[in-house]
Amino acid sequence: MRWGMVVDLSKCVRCYGCIVACRIEHFLPSGIDWPRLVAVEPDIDGVMPVVSTYPVRCNQCDDAPCVNVCPTGATYKRDDGIVAVDQNKCVGCRYCVISCPYQNRKFLSKDKDKGFFPKYERTDFEKAGKKLYPHQIGTTEKCNFCMERIDAGLARGLKPGVDRDATPACVNTCQARALTFGDLDDPESDVSRLIRERNGFQLHPEFGTGPAIYYVDKERIGCTETPEESESHKTLVEAGV
Amino acid sequence: MEAHEWMIKPTYQTEWIDRRGIFLWLALYTGGLGGGLYLVSLFFNNLPGMLTGLLIVAVLKGSFHIAFLGKPLRFWRIMFRPQTSWLARGFIFVVLFVGSATIQVVLSYLVPGSVWVLLFKIAAGVMAFGVATYTGFVLNNVKAVSFWNSPLLPLLFVMCGLMGGFGLITLIGVLGADINMHIAETGSRWLLIINVLLIVVYLWTAMRRDDTGKHSVIDQMRGKSSFAFWGGVVVLGIVVPLIIAVFSYFSGEEASSVLIAGVVCEIMGGMALRYCILKAGIYKPLFSTPSYLQA
Repeated sequence: MRWGMVVDLSKCVRCYGCIVACRIEHFLPSGIDWPRLVAVEPDIDGVMPVVSTYPVRCNQCDDAPCVNVCPTGATYKRDDGIVAVDQNKCVGCRYCVISCPYQNRKFLSKDKDKGFFPKYERTDFEKAGKKLYPHQIGTTEKCNFCMERIDAGLARGLKPGVDRDATPACVNTCQARALTFGDLDDPESDVSRLIRERNGFQLHPEFGTGPAIYYVDKERIGCTETPEESESHKTLVEAGV
Repeated sequence: MEAHEWMIKPTYQTEWIDRRGIFLWLALYTGGLGGGLYLVSLFFNNLPGMLTGLLIVAVLKGSFHIAFLGKPLRFWRIMFRPQTSWLARGFIFVVLFVGSATIQVVLSYLVPGSVWVLLFKIAAGVMAFGVATYTGFVLNNVKAVSFWNSPLLPLLFVMCGLMGGFGLITLIGVLGADINMHIAETGSRWLLIINVLLIVVYLWTAMRRDDTGKHSVIDQMRGKSSFAFWGGVVVLGIVVPLIIAVFSYFSGEEASSVLIAGVVCEIMGGMALRYCILKAGIYKPLFSTPSYLQA
């Protein structure tokens, strides 16, 4: 079993819902974003406006550089492929932040946890977050595919990607259904089908990290290779998918 | 335009050089300098030099590195993953070096010439080499930053550390220790030449590696940190020591003040080199830059 996600770029309406859902789910400090939404709207004379939107988050790499370089074992890979961080073991050396080719690791410094209204007392939501989901200043963090939801859901016999209570918050909240979650090792899962049928591609496959997040699109804005040339496509073809 | 530049343009790493990252820069440099000085002191069999090398690693490098950490009191955890992490390996090198060099210095003082002194000198020498080298591997191991991804980097760092070591041993000799100054100065001259060649080859290979590597090299020459490269690495680290080396080679002997100035310049040049290498660490854009944005 290996959890993965497919992002349909042609469906994303850039509502920022996934970012808000994640912030609420994990009580993220004000200066930290686990998922990020990148929208490029060039407004240059003589050029037809093109909007490309890329929701990005930790790719939960198969051969994760952040796991390999972590000197304490604070960053580790679970059996289900999720790359998680044990903040109690993290020393804040930031080697993981440096080694991530996707720049999706975050270091939580004091100035990133000033609160949403720095001049005022923390809100009840923030106070609750400090108790329920403590983020340790001086350590690193990142998206964990809502592993708490997945674990709790599986314990109740639910299926992640199908049952909402076992599915990451960003996927649940996506009103355009641009995000699909499921088991990459299951050829019948929605994620495997989408990757197979719509030539899913990964970001920077040349680094050999094996991201668990795939993208599909009508046309691949900003990518130089054709879908058929992509490493992920070749790998799937070789595997007989 | 609404855009995150790290997605579509080459982006600088900042965690290891800006703000508290300055401590990491100093830790990387003092590790190389302390390890290099200890190795050079072993060559000259100079106890004050060995002690100075030990103190530089134990006190300066240790303090800078711990000050950099987000959770300094957990520093001991760094040794837990040596199978994959160069940072963990480096921490083990430092601990073993400090331990064995301390015992060696104490034994050299109490029972000079004993077999134990020799054994601990060998052990501490091997660990000092590890301390001087590992920081190069820490950076070299980061595939995401093309500029660092070169096998020359550990060699450059260890040679730079040895050059600093030769400089400091010359300084210790000037202050009155029993050092063969002719050998120290000759060693400094050769290491200076080797370092210049290594820097040129390093930049040349980085330039040819890929677009991001090229971007890093161009940034060194013309970008925000170009003053550190031209003023620190080239002028202080190469040109001034080279002029002093050539002058002393032909004149035979050099005034102490000039030698001290040369050593200070060498050290500042070494620091500038580490600074430039860290500062020019650039990530490949997450997405290819559309042509209309490249301008």
